[in-house]
Amino acid sequence: MLSRVADSIALPAKTRSPGAGKGHGKLEHEVTGLFDQYREPLLRYLWSSGLPVSDGEEILQDVFLSLFRHLAGGKSLDNTRGWLFRVARNLALKRRYRLRRESFAAADSDLTVDPAPDPEVCAAHSQAQRRLMSVVDALPEQDRQCLFLRADGLRYREIAEVLDMSLGAVSLSLSRSLARIGRSTERSGL
Amino acid sequence: MNRAEFHPSDEQLLREIDGEISQHDRRIVAQHLEECWRCRARRQELQNAIGGFVRAYQEEFDSALPPGAGPRALLKAKLAECAASEPPAGIRRLFAARTVLAATAACALLAAALGARYMARLAHRYSRVPQAVILIPDARLTPGATLLVNRPAVCAEPDTNNKAVPAAVRQKVFEEYGIRGADPRAYEVDYLVTPALGGADDIHNLWPHSYAATVWNARVKDALEERLRNMVCGGSLDLGEAQREIASNWIAAYQKYFHTEQPLGAVR
Repeated sequence: MLSRVADSIALPAKTRSPGAGKGHGKLEHEVTGLFDQYREPLLRYLWSSGLPVSDGEEILQDVFLSLFRHLAGGKSLDNTRGWLFRVARNLALKRRYRLRRESFAAADSDLTVDPAPDPEVCAAHSQAQRRLMSVVDALPEQDRQCLFLRADGLRYREIAEVLDMSLGAVSLSLSRSLARIGRSTERSGL
Repeated sequence: MNRAEFHPSDEQLLREIDGEISQHDRRIVAQHLEECWRCRARRQELQNAIGGFVRAYQEEFDSALPPGAGPRALLKAKLAECAASEPPAGIRRLFAARTVLAATAACALLAAALGARYMARLAHRYSRVPQAVILIPDARLTPGATLLVNRPAVCAEPDTNNKAVPAAVRQKVFEEYGIRGADPRAYEVDYLVTPALGGADDIHNLWPHSYAATVWNARVKDALEERLRNMVCGGSLDLGEAQREIASNWIAAYQKYFHTEQPLGAVR
């Protein structure tokens, strides 16, 4: 029988605070670099979880200031990416937003950014995508969160840490969601 | 294990796809997939589902993703201020715990004061704290206001010092920003869009810029205003664009037009 999960997986490199006496210049540079690297996936995750982009941007400012203070305090991070997503999620929840997405149909006009030559093909494509995302919308909240985090590159262990789940629950959730999405895409021919 | 009867589950196939499986199990699954068309097709279906979801997920968001230059500049400004208010870790260990807490609180206050949406509310909550450092105006309180003038009219006016803001208006600005308990001398009530660029003499164009700002202070903003006015009057920049850029994020505008991350000749 197959074991439940792998024993070891590759995780992002640790982030260490600068040593004593090095000052904050290097740390500012490091945090800004992490902001450049993770702003888009973090913002996308918050947005997919139901937050307006403007609110997501505000939360990210707090996330990276927290990171700065954390590292300035002489602490290190074992898993920077997981830490960032976890803090972003916690801050979002603190704002007491209901984690719901706005109607996908409302963003219809924004979906045709891919310059398909044939308008009918383009319309059919976006319609299929809407159908797919409506399947995602109907998933249990935890399953949707697992999907979003995985799509943003987090490994199972990181997802488990962010959402406080077991590794087995993460893989089960993802496979269950993908099975549903697969049935949807088969029907729509996406 | 009877391999003839073994078919991996969706979960096991997905873990194999995602590299979340041990080497031993990976070999078993790979060998089975070579033999079993049905499982190979199922694996492909999972791959297709991943591809379809990722495309929809990314395309949906990409159209809504704003440029990152402004938020990045704002974060850099906040980090610089935090760094200025908090000593490095090695030095900080020498301080008593109370001092550390005070520095952290100052940093937290700065973050609160700079947050766009919640700035006014949080500033009011902390109104007893003497000097909140404000670098960027609250867009709700100070969106910027301009006169209906064109470039020739703006450039025909001499570039003199801004008119002094009446004391009553200054007080009103402080009240709006919830800093009634602060020393008014700690702030310059500044025009967001300077009158030299067609900015209006209106409270929606006024905000309290901290003198305590060690990097992005009022003198730096003055340099930006002079640069933009010279560009507008020299014909290399549209007046409306200059007004919009300085009103939306003057720090980002400075970095753009001076081609620098930090103010030139910053007074720290």
